[in-house]
Amino acid sequence: MPMVSRWMYISLVILYSFLLGPFIIIFMASFGANATMAFPPQGFTLDWFANVFETSQFIDSFWISLHLALLSTIVSLVMGMPVAYALTRFQFAASGLVETIFSAPILVPGLVIGFAMLNFFVLLGDMRVMTGLFIGHTAILFPYSVRVISASLRNLDPYVEDAAVSLGANRLRGFLLVVLPNMQAGIAAAFVLGFITSFNNVPVSLFLSGPGVTTLPVSMLSYLEYYFDPTIAALSTLLVIFTVVLVQTAERVLGLSQFV
Amino acid sequence: MPYLEIHDLTVSYEKNQPTLERFSLNVEQGELLSLLGPSGCGKTTTLRSVAGFIQPDAGRIVINGRDYTHLPPNQRDIGLVFQSYALFPHLTVFNNVAFGLRMRRIPKKEIYSRVANALKMVGLEAFADRRPAQLSGGQQQRVALARATVIEPQVLLLDEPLSNLDAGLRVTMRQEIRRLQQQLGITTLYVTHDQVEAMTISDRVVVMNQGEIEQMGTPENIFSAPETVFVADFMGFDNHFNTEVVSVGDSKLTATWGGAPIQLRWHSKFGSPRPGARAEIFFRADNASLVAGTEATGLAGQVILHTFHGNELQYLVDTEVGEFSIMQDSDSERFEAGAAVTVQPHTQKWIAIIEETAARRQRKE
Amino acid sequence: MIRRPNQTRTIILLVCPALIFVLVFFVLPLIFLLSQSVLPEDGGFTLSGYLEFFQSRVSWIVYLRTLKLGLIVTGICVVMAYPAAFVLARMPPRRRSFLVSLVILPLMTNAVARTFAWLIILGRRGMINQTLLSLELVENPVRFIFTETAIVLGLTQLFLPLMVLPLVSAMENIPDDVLEAARSLGANRLTTFLRIVVPLSSDGLVLGATLVFTGSVTAFVTPAILGGSRLLLMSTLLRQKAVILFDQQAAAVVAVVMILTTLAVNLLLRVGRVQQG
Repeated sequence: MPMVSRWMYISLVILYSFLLGPFIIIFMASFGANATMAFPPQGFTLDWFANVFETSQFIDSFWISLHLALLSTIVSLVMGMPVAYALTRFQFAASGLVETIFSAPILVPGLVIGFAMLNFFVLLGDMRVMTGLFIGHTAILFPYSVRVISASLRNLDPYVEDAAVSLGANRLRGFLLVVLPNMQAGIAAAFVLGFITSFNNVPVSLFLSGPGVTTLPVSMLSYLEYYFDPTIAALSTLLVIFTVVLVQTAERVLGLSQFV
Repeated sequence: MPYLEIHDLTVSYEKNQPTLERFSLNVEQGELLSLLGPSGCGKTTTLRSVAGFIQPDAGRIVINGRDYTHLPPNQRDIGLVFQSYALFPHLTVFNNVAFGLRMRRIPKKEIYSRVANALKMVGLEAFADRRPAQLSGGQQQRVALARATVIEPQVLLLDEPLSNLDAGLRVTMRQEIRRLQQQLGITTLYVTHDQVEAMTISDRVVVMNQGEIEQMGTPENIFSAPETVFVADFMGFDNHFNTEVVSVGDSKLTATWGGAPIQLRWHSKFGSPRPGARAEIFFRADNASLVAGTEATGLAGQVILHTFHGNELQYLVDTEVGEFSIMQDSDSERFEAGAAVTVQPHTQKWIAIIEETAARRQRKE
Repeated sequence: MIRRPNQTRTIILLVCPALIFVLVFFVLPLIFLLSQSVLPEDGGFTLSGYLEFFQSRVSWIVYLRTLKLGLIVTGICVVMAYPAAFVLARMPPRRRSFLVSLVILPLMTNAVARTFAWLIILGRRGMINQTLLSLELVENPVRFIFTETAIVLGLTQLFLPLMVLPLVSAMENIPDDVLEAARSLGANRLTTFLRIVVPLSSDGLVLGATLVFTGSVTAFVTPAILGGSRLLLMSTLLRQKAVILFDQQAAAVVAVVMILTTLAVNLLLRVGRVQQG
């Protein structure tokens, strides 16, 4: 490898210990026997993992987060895909504006979005907490779904559709038979990205959560306000494993990093 | 009776796209006709109008006596080969070729035999199970051809089909396309910007410029007798100069070359020129000879540069009329840079073209 | 680009469902927020919310602290990420993609879990204090939590990947030949890095810096856990005004200031990039 000197490798070591070190610490802490989280942890126990599953607050909010992430990701994909198609297959005057509008939710701070939506929903009157969360999450996922699917559409020769049509397929069949199968990787990547973004979101959920309806990260945050014990470490460990499996699978199968 | 008729086709585009105005063209049954021209001349617009991807503002497209103008592209029965091939990346070669037959709800057995036959014709029987990404450029091109012809279309359209191949493969493929086209006897419209390609593959060539037909004729006719300055330029006449017409006959006009009269074929779209009019004279590099010294008849000049091309030597010669590029056999007499030479014309291969501007000027006088 | 009949109608059909969703549920709430910041509950129009914000010493301190920490975090990320990204970009593709996926990993884990680690590291009986005590460098545990240092550490760990990834993809596009050409012309490694690699990767740097800075000045979880109410940043201030003090107008003002700040940064860097290009 040309041009890479030894001190640069040191920078790599620093980078990775800083990025991954905290995870090792959480991992160790989740097996430690003492409740006060002194370091290094003493003894070995699985009690904290048991505690995670006994805390109904975590279990309930896990299911809510899972439902929410699946639902909002799917809806943002189904609605975002036509937008991506229009942006990549047509030239039109307002395309710049449309692109800006759909990337806006990424530019506005999440906390502000959550706050603005809460106030607006209150104005609209009675709205179920879950509905509010669903709307908020779907809105913030549009930038991801539109961008990732646009990227995968740009990799596909636009003329394959014309080829299908010249061979006798109508536009819709051409799309279903030729475009959609070639977007599988892009759709899956957008799905994983959207799912993780929604599943981990705190700032938007924070305001939109309500009594009894809370997402997992928000309930972790409120747990931390009252308790300071390795339960959170154990839960974090479980979530990291969950994420590693998901991300590594996605990376292996789809090359996720090209879309991030 | 023509098989494919384009009547007064008018297409206007919003953006910097080429436009067509009342463009008409006929293609005979079983003929391969090339649309030749630089990018933006309207050749692809014409092709996509025939395919149905562009809805013309006016005009008609008629194939085999049936009006196609308002038929959607998927009902046109036209085989289309794209510049990018546009193969379906997720389908095998077999399924790519079978696609059009499936759309036509052909029975499975028949699909199988027709696809097998089409693949055999392009020499890809062994590749039926491959994906397009596993094929070379030339093989992909063959799949595209098989896919477009297996549906036995009324008309075959090819849009710059060879431009993504390297030079050697291009020669092989254009022979294959021609062979396939003649075997199937299919009426074909072939779009290209490469004059050699158009010359070698076509029954007839249409040279297009800015949405209009500059000249239409056999390859030989276009190659040796261009009718406009544009066509002469495009067909690779290396040298040209502007001169005065001395006198005009029925088939030849007289101009001067180094003080001596020369008789040249001429062409004008504006009637017979009068003596004193201006003409643009064109000739190819191998249609003149060099002799040593300035005593011989012909135009005197000086060699500026010479380059070796295997069997030939190319000279750049400066004369009072302009600089000319002249090719000579490498076993003929050699001249060094600075040598005084005389340029002698092979006038039977030269051509004089009277352009509109020249004709107008003449009328004013 | 493909031209088809009825293009306009097709585009409208494709774009509208999502567009209406975003306009109604995203743009409209933001407009409402803006109006909240200037319309008091008893009617009329007032800028008093903004006046109050900018006249209050506390909000100035919070605002400037937020910007300051954002700048520090961005600076640290640049310094840490630049050489590392260069090494990554020069690696063989397989090893690179594995290591890059390790950079993405923290990005995919929720911020509460990631920030929690710093409580263990920086706590009264945490890793650092235990080390200091056992080495007898200090007699009593040092307070790290609820300090700016803690927030900076947490934010850096959170946003470092957002600096590394754009830099790696910018540097991947620099061919080896260019670097070797510079070396053959007499530049040493450092000069080559500074005069060839840095200018050629400036796009990645600008993008990374934008992401890290705007992320840092709007992050909520890290300042909430590591700063608490004792060390407020704009995001925790917004939360406090809205949920604890129930002052919706003041909260809306904070929110608008946050939006304007991130927009200004994005715009500034975009303009800079356009001029450069």
